[in-house]
Amino acid sequence: MEKLLSQKFYQAMNELEPRYPNKKALILPALHQAQAECGWLPPEVLAEVAAYIGVHEAQIREVASFYTMYNLKPVGKNHLRICTNVACCLRGADDLMSYAERKLGIACGETTPDGMFTLSEEECLGACTTAPVMMANDDYVENLDINGLNDWIERAKNDR
Amino acid sequence: MPKCLIDGKEVEFSPGENLVKVAKRAGVEIPVFCYHPGLSVVAQCRMCYVEVEKMPKLQTACSTMAAEGMVVKTQSEAVKKGRQGTMEFLLLNHPLDCPICDKAGECDLQDNSFGHGSANMRHSEERRTYVDVDMGPVIQKNMNRCIHCTRCIRFGDEVAGIHEMVAIKRGNNIDITTIDGKQLKTEYAGNYSDICPTGSLTLKDFRFKKRAWMLKKTETVCEGCSKGCNMEIQHEGNVVYRCVPRENLEINKHWMCDEGRFNYRYTQDESRIVDPTLRAPDGHKSAAWQDVVATLESKIRGGEVLFLLGTDLTNEELSAIREAASTLRTGIKIRTFGTLGVTKTSEDGSADNILKMKSKTSNLNGAEKLGLEPLAGDAKADTVIVFRGGRAALPRVEAKWSAGVGVFNREEASGFDSVLPGLAFTEKEGTVVNHAGIGQRISRAVRPKGTCKSVPEVLMSLLNTKSKAGQA
Repeated sequence: MEKLLSQKFYQAMNELEPRYPNKKALILPALHQAQAECGWLPPEVLAEVAAYIGVHEAQIREVASFYTMYNLKPVGKNHLRICTNVACCLRGADDLMSYAERKLGIACGETTPDGMFTLSEEECLGACTTAPVMMANDDYVENLDINGLNDWIERAKNDR
Repeated sequence: MPKCLIDGKEVEFSPGENLVKVAKRAGVEIPVFCYHPGLSVVAQCRMCYVEVEKMPKLQTACSTMAAEGMVVKTQSEAVKKGRQGTMEFLLLNHPLDCPICDKAGECDLQDNSFGHGSANMRHSEERRTYVDVDMGPVIQKNMNRCIHCTRCIRFGDEVAGIHEMVAIKRGNNIDITTIDGKQLKTEYAGNYSDICPTGSLTLKDFRFKKRAWMLKKTETVCEGCSKGCNMEIQHEGNVVYRCVPRENLEINKHWMCDEGRFNYRYTQDESRIVDPTLRAPDGHKSAAWQDVVATLESKIRGGEVLFLLGTDLTNEELSAIREAASTLRTGIKIRTFGTLGVTKTSEDGSADNILKMKSKTSNLNGAEKLGLEPLAGDAKADTVIVFRGGRAALPRVEAKWSAGVGVFNREEASGFDSVLPGLAFTEKEGTVVNHAGIGQRISRAVRPKGTCKSVPEVLMSLLNTKSKAGQA
């Protein structure tokens, strides 16, 4: 089978391996590294990670689908993850979600046709003191309100 | 041996035993879902709560090892409340479709809900729903009923040796399935249905055929190979509906393969010969038993005669045939046949390192212990009589006249000049010896079909015909 992951991936794994008690513990960092390379985790890449770790593909699938940080579908240039867990929910996260859906014209879990935005729901982001929270790509946007959300999306659109 | 107290009863235990096992010995049944004695312990269903003195919270009995002097309460108010809470959670998404569910009557969820749940439900929200999934020829999945005990995942990983069931996503969105809905590959898929504590994984072969509580159960041994897995034939109105494994820690533990599970089908197949036949110019014709026996008797009076005995016959049948052969006349040669390429126990062995053996008949070891020799090459004689239980692979027969005694289907029968239909393993009693030398009893579950006769009956009428012919 032709390898989809680069030499860099395997090099990074070789460096990480001594830090973990066994190879199975490498699953999470391996998936992060693979996602950083491919943008998302297609089934073929999951299979390659499984072969590298030495477990059945099914186990990798279980792990990758358990954590919301792994994308099992391609995502857009900007990935908005709105927390809808208790604290954020009480502070109006549901309104933010439906506003984002209307503004972007997609439902939660979908990507805009131009590939600019992906909207998804996130369980607790661990920033309840500043609820409601959105994770936009790798940044936290805290104390979010509808105006703030609107501004963020507009700025991202103009950044194109 | 160390002792502990369970509900005031003193029980001995060996170190490392969990409270479910120890309590069972004290006569206390602790309700479980995810715990299965043949699988690893995960303690995730939270049904087996017990109260252990000096421990601040309720403990799960499956993952708590008994310890010297431990005082366990399984019926306290806290335990009852804990179990009731667990049941309430487990039923949040369960459709409660027991009237149309195949598992009803033998369902852990039903039993434990009745025994430990609440009669009222506080939940009125919508339940999540999934579409039924076809998981191959053996299993049909209904995810709505699933309580995520993960027994199936662990069975695949730990017993069947293939991690094909997976838990995708998490929490309320969890889905227990195969990767991308692929079909199950394992040859032990029937066990998924046995161990499922709900009606989530149902056996396609049994779906909507019969209610579980109407079935009569007969304990017997599988005849599929020389392993001798213990099983139960479940039948009603003289029809076998399914076979399920019986626990025997020495032989098959809790499992059996699909080949053995569905092996019973040939015994009630349309094409099985159930009345005696004689060859006529235009194919086989039904004939009266006495005519067929008389023809058979006349054919073995002279010439070279070979009796071929299938290693799927019981010890009793094998020795009865040998005894009758020596009484009928001298010089009848006796050879056994069973599986191509496996004629001796020394050639037998595990076929897949799980349960299946290379010898596809149940009594190869018994036949060898009785001192019977296996057939080498083709069966060549003037007259060849083949005695067969139903599974032994027929060798090539070259004879002026040949007959089959036992279970044959129409296609197999066409090679013989006459067929005297016999009893299948579901219809007779007897003993067989498995590959490890363990002797076990097979039991009759259903009445014979048509005018099928047992081997001793056929032999007796042969001997009677001979003595009558001698007097005339």
